[in-house]
Amino acid sequence: MEWIFIPNKDGPVEHIYREKTDKRILKKNPWRDYRLHVTVLILVVIAELIGTIKIPLTKDVAITIMPLIYTIILGLVFYLAKPITWIQRKQARIAEGAMMLFIGVLIAKLAVSSGQSISLIFEMGPALILQELGHLATILVLPIALLLGFKKESIGMTNSIGREPNVAVVVDKYGFNSPESRGVFAIFIIGTVIGTIFISFLVTFSLSFLPLHPYAFAMASGVGSASMNAAAIGPTLAAFPGLETQIEAFAGFSNLLSFCVGIYIVIFVAIPLTEKMYNWLEPKIGRESITNKKGDDE
Amino acid sequence: MPDIIDGSENVSVHGIFNWILLLVIFSIITVIGNYLGYKHPMTDSLVGMAILSIITLVGVWMERELPLNVSSILYISIIGIVLAFPGMPTSEFVLYYVSQIELLSIVTVFLAYVGIGMGKSWDEFKALGWRAIVITVLVIAATYYGAAIVAHIVLVLTGVPAV
Repeated sequence: MEWIFIPNKDGPVEHIYREKTDKRILKKNPWRDYRLHVTVLILVVIAELIGTIKIPLTKDVAITIMPLIYTIILGLVFYLAKPITWIQRKQARIAEGAMMLFIGVLIAKLAVSSGQSISLIFEMGPALILQELGHLATILVLPIALLLGFKKESIGMTNSIGREPNVAVVVDKYGFNSPESRGVFAIFIIGTVIGTIFISFLVTFSLSFLPLHPYAFAMASGVGSASMNAAAIGPTLAAFPGLETQIEAFAGFSNLLSFCVGIYIVIFVAIPLTEKMYNWLEPKIGRESITNKKGDDE
Repeated sequence: MPDIIDGSENVSVHGIFNWILLLVIFSIITVIGNYLGYKHPMTDSLVGMAILSIITLVGVWMERELPLNVSSILYISIIGIVLAFPGMPTSEFVLYYVSQIELLSIVTVFLAYVGIGMGKSWDEFKALGWRAIVITVLVIAATYYGAAIVAHIVLVLTGVPAV
């Protein structure tokens, strides 16, 4: 559901997320798995009772750890912990399907803030639209991928942040079993596991060190993934008290733009540009391929 | 291979019933978290969550029923923006109750489901190796900083005062 649409209307990857959600939550009567939901409730109660913890590093710099971090990590721990037998693969699939429905509630809350501040959004239109082009900065990582020994995988890895819509675009263009698709799958899986936690800490640090405009932080949190957007907004809201509505409005609207416009930037700008960079740089700095002998990215 | 391609099932009354129950469960958990974390009165927050759930439900339903090939995210965003639009008869009511729900309360519950859901990718994650992890971290950082710096430059150039 993290999705607008793919130009190839009959493509095999179209609406795969919607179908996945439907299959998971329509067939399996997800509400019946009460232990999953009771577990979530317990995680949330624990997280809210601990509350936000601020660890001061220096006079001006502090790490903020928010309840949202506890719930992601506890959720993962509960899945992995052996003694907890009632959270297994089946529950993870239900949680994943349900989560795609709950994205809607998150989006609705952001949309209400956007509607409230609609004139401000129009005023800041140029910044909101142009910052979408800032996502092209991922291509700068391509040389590092080449130096680490990736070949064509690096094209899939660095053309975008590698969330669901980007995976679909790459699979659609290069085919399911291509090295480019393997690359984007790797980014997708790692992003799924560490992306939310990583971005939350990244934002916390950036807020302390980078003297950027509060609205710029808000807009940047719309990276095109609802969970990473959610994790990035948290520290931003905490850093600028009194600007909640504006930050939510910009973050929500920018995430929406990443879904609608971002995918076209990836198709028409990012992928061709990444390929050009690859063809230019690979003969110069390419290393011996690591993928044949080690399968490091599969 | 990541588990992203799967079968499908058509929408039915049964399906809508499942969505409603899931949204009710999600609302109750969020309201409890919202009360513990921010002390917002439970009845007002319940109304707020009901509004957000109905918007979601309508958006998800439109995605599946309307012939347009558009994501529910777009429908939900448009409905939310229109309902809260200054001057709309609904705006005062919607804004009052929805403001009782802190965004972070929703995020905290949402990410609990994300955490459990991502456990499924753990084995694949472990198999991937440090090189791919380095690239992922750099790609996420590049996306974030790229957008933040461009936004900052445009905001400064267009003369938006620092708040």
